[in-house]
Amino acid sequence: MKPIKHKGAGQRIPLVDGIEKVTGRARYTADLFAPEAYVGRIFRSPYAHAEIIRVDVSAALALPGVIAIVTGEDCDLPYGVLPIAQNEFPLARDKVRYVGEPIAAVAAVDDTTAAQALKLIRLEVRELPNYVEPKDARAQGAVLLHANRADNLERAVHHEFGDVAAGFAAAELVREETYHCAEVSHAQMEPHAVMAEYDAERDHLTMHTVSQVPYYTHLTLARCLKMDAARIRVIKPFVGGGFGARVEVLNFEIICGLLARAARGTVRMRLSREETFLTHRGRPQSDIRVRLGMKRDGRFTACEMEMVQRGGAYGGYGIVTILYAGALLNGIYDIPAVKYDGYRVYTNTPPCGAMRGHGTVNTRHAFETLLDAMAQELGLDPIDVRRTNLLQAPTETINGLKVLSYGLPQCLDAAERASGWRERHGRLPKGRGLGIGCSHFVSGSAKPIHFTGQPHATIILKLDFDGGITILSGAPDVGQGCSTILTQAVVEVLGVDYSRVRIIANDSVITPKDNGAYSSRITFMVGNAAVNAAENLKAILVDAAARQLQVTSEQVNCMGEQYCVHGDPDRAVTFSEVVAEALKGTGTITAKGTFTCPVEFQGGKHKGAAVGSTMGFSYSATVVEVSVDEELGTIKVEKIWTAMDCGFAINPLSVEGQIHGSVWMGMGQALCEETRYENGRHIAASLLEYHVPTILDSPPIETHIVESIDPNGPFGAKEVSEGSVASVPPAIVAAVENAIGIRLTELPLTPERVLKALAARDRRQARELRAQPVHQHGVA
Amino acid sequence: MEPLPNFRLLRPRSVPEAVAARIADTHTRFLAGGTDLLANMRSGLVDTETLIDLSAIEELRHLEVGAAGLTIGAGVTLETLATDPAIVRDYAALAQAAQGVAGPTHRIVATLGGNLCLDTRCRFYNQSESWRAGNSFCLKHGGDICRVALKADRCYAAFSGDLAPALMVLGAVADIAGAQGKRVLPLSDIYTDDGKACLMLAPEDLLVGVRLPSPDGWRSAYDKVRIRGAIDFPLTGVAVALRREGRRIAKLRIATTATESQPILIQGLEALEGNTLEEMVSRLEKIVRKQLGMMETYLTSAAYRRRATLVITKRLIQRLLME
Repeated sequence: MKPIKHKGAGQRIPLVDGIEKVTGRARYTADLFAPEAYVGRIFRSPYAHAEIIRVDVSAALALPGVIAIVTGEDCDLPYGVLPIAQNEFPLARDKVRYVGEPIAAVAAVDDTTAAQALKLIRLEVRELPNYVEPKDARAQGAVLLHANRADNLERAVHHEFGDVAAGFAAAELVREETYHCAEVSHAQMEPHAVMAEYDAERDHLTMHTVSQVPYYTHLTLARCLKMDAARIRVIKPFVGGGFGARVEVLNFEIICGLLARAARGTVRMRLSREETFLTHRGRPQSDIRVRLGMKRDGRFTACEMEMVQRGGAYGGYGIVTILYAGALLNGIYDIPAVKYDGYRVYTNTPPCGAMRGHGTVNTRHAFETLLDAMAQELGLDPIDVRRTNLLQAPTETINGLKVLSYGLPQCLDAAERASGWRERHGRLPKGRGLGIGCSHFVSGSAKPIHFTGQPHATIILKLDFDGGITILSGAPDVGQGCSTILTQAVVEVLGVDYSRVRIIANDSVITPKDNGAYSSRITFMVGNAAVNAAENLKAILVDAAARQLQVTSEQVNCMGEQYCVHGDPDRAVTFSEVVAEALKGTGTITAKGTFTCPVEFQGGKHKGAAVGSTMGFSYSATVVEVSVDEELGTIKVEKIWTAMDCGFAINPLSVEGQIHGSVWMGMGQALCEETRYENGRHIAASLLEYHVPTILDSPPIETHIVESIDPNGPFGAKEVSEGSVASVPPAIVAAVENAIGIRLTELPLTPERVLKALAARDRRQARELRAQPVHQHGVA
Repeated sequence: MEPLPNFRLLRPRSVPEAVAARIADTHTRFLAGGTDLLANMRSGLVDTETLIDLSAIEELRHLEVGAAGLTIGAGVTLETLATDPAIVRDYAALAQAAQGVAGPTHRIVATLGGNLCLDTRCRFYNQSESWRAGNSFCLKHGGDICRVALKADRCYAAFSGDLAPALMVLGAVADIAGAQGKRVLPLSDIYTDDGKACLMLAPEDLLVGVRLPSPDGWRSAYDKVRIRGAIDFPLTGVAVALRREGRRIAKLRIATTATESQPILIQGLEALEGNTLEEMVSRLEKIVRKQLGMMETYLTSAAYRRRATLVITKRLIQRLLME
């Protein structure tokens, strides 16, 4: 449905929870007042790969002030976000598989005692060879991390759509290149924290946690603690960012629950930044080989990709990530044939997981970078090549993805115009260059992880004697602004003032279940549920107004703060009067709204088809301008123009903020962020060594919102927070090529890599110079 | 964040009181801005149970521009050094070095003395206690092997303060208060090339401040290379001061940081004086390169840091000649 009144949808309003955040009143998990809480600390593995022989906690337990200790023996059920791949224990049992893996945990009266207790825990192991690189983990004879996974391969995916061989045969230019993308981490502002309160008399557990998926946390606590889910309550306070770090239940959450029960009281954990990095779940290191076939005019004929992801020690979202990386080769351009071979490898490093632009960022980087190189070889403008390969929406891709709204052409136009591409590309002074990249992302995974038969999203509205409307939402706002969007959706439908509307989110005993903040699903799915709930409430109010105005419901015109007779605005009753009438005989009104993605959107028939399926893709085109210092090898991003199709901007201010954040995150991955291990030990587990760009490194970002008005999104809206990330790294690589003539194949683009490539370029040029025939000009 | 361990806090009101507190118990640490010390305490790198807070000592906050030059108390903040008009005008290298340290919130509290007495840094040392324990510790703290140079009998952690090289090229002397009263040392004399303990001061010594001669025709500048535009410690830092005669360099001083376990005042530059940059550049590179002892103490390679040192050295000289 399209916006009618523009009171809610389309308004640039500050986030509804912004005041608490900027004034410091917001209480995050670590801020919660709980003087009775014990301090929980985790004893972690110093070994990358070892068999556990013995964990002796007796000395620690004997320390005065230690209340409880839990070990692997306290939980014998593995967990994992995907029901088909649960192989992680909250506390290691038979083996440890990465440095930092939790082995035991202590609850003590204070920090000092807890720290002392950790030093008294004795660990006896038999060390095993450890593998940081996938090639070592896959080598013949390598010790298996998980006995049931041969070759340390978590999942191999082989997909082929269309006739790839024929596609390459028809190509007039075929090129192949390999790319390496370093492992990156979310580096969300708030370190992990959790508080678990165990009511021993009632056998009830209440958990406050930093989760993006409180519902999964709830399910997993019930499983791992073997408790009836009804005895568990999960609350999400203010959360300082997630970006995917918290889209699966994390070991410390379950550990805290186990500890609280063992301590028969309240236990709080505040993980250090290092521990937050070790909990990880970031974007995996990827080695990518891509081959593209093109006609002379730039039209794609076929694509082939091999992707190897270093998954880390446990499954997590791994299978989804390796599937996404292949599925999202489609859905952005028209490619007649695609072959994809993906390998997710177990290694002795912290588990990777979902991170902003889940699965697609490194795939897109390789694809766009090769596209740019081939355009150059054919003497074509890289924007024109993209235009040559646009989809014609509505359409269905060769792997069964539906594309109904498609604003990529407008994104290309906007980015081209805004950056002055036509006048400036290739005409800037040496050392300065422009580059472009495009990307897309799903607006919610159309098929949920768990099959429950329930709607994919539910919202409840409560209206009472005071005329206040309370939105009860299970959708976790972790800073991305979904509580604001849901509020705007309700205001838009009902037309009431914002002052009447409050939102209560994320307390499992109050708010409806929600699958969580992942795959950019909330605006689309929960937004639609909110619209549905508001329409249901409106129908009740219109009926009440009709009774008061003594007309039929069809004759009532809802003006928001008042209801009048259609065509006779003077015959009106106020909202309060309508509410009073509506409550007669029934009391407090609750209206429910739901949303479910129809089955035809849930992907094709092949194995793994659900991953990538969505009701609407967002699209993005980014132009980057860089300057390169050839002596120091440093790259400065001078300016970024990003045009994004988010369907409809329910809140343009928030949309711009999300685009800024995505672009900035893409820039960090491109230039300076890198997770590094030495002998399996994370050597950059701090914000000093893990180089997130600072504001001084951040260029002006000019955003252009493209509104393709999706037929199914709420008011036409799609996702906005993930779709732009992937466009940035290839745009930067292309801009560097444009500036100094080197095309880098490894991320991040560190000064050392730039200098190495420059040296290779200079050697190549010298060789070419020597190879040229010598012209004799001796005689005039 | 790791919690701070428990400690006792003393707050002397004068320099003699502070020195007396140290004489009474040498197993203490002076606390100024705390931006380095407190972070290291959280990481279990500081073995002390008593801190002597210097913030109540008026004398240490003294900043005076006189005919003879500039006097700066050890407690003057980096924010002040970066913005004081006289320093910005006459001692540009110092202002630029101060401006380049960490971020604004650090500079508001961090001090001259703290930056000059900064602990050395290394990727094997600036880690959490559990990390270092898992790696069997290192020579600098708790172990007996230097992880950077396995066969070495010394620690190679790098000095990373930004102010020291700037002050060195400006001809600074250090005022030290100790058991025997006050004494004055050339700034470079308070350092030694040992990553485990790069300060040559006695346990009871307190750095009271530094004094700089009047500018007298010297121009100076500081620059450093790092991954990001803020926050990061220098991968290499260079200060240059020179006096010029037309395009010729009449006098030249160069000092570096993050290249060794101490800041280095480059020796042997007199031979180049009287030349233009073009005339001296290859000899200059040779002289500087010889005195760079970078080790693999950072995640960025020593080779890159060496190369970058030479690049920014040349650029700084060029800049000072153009100004």
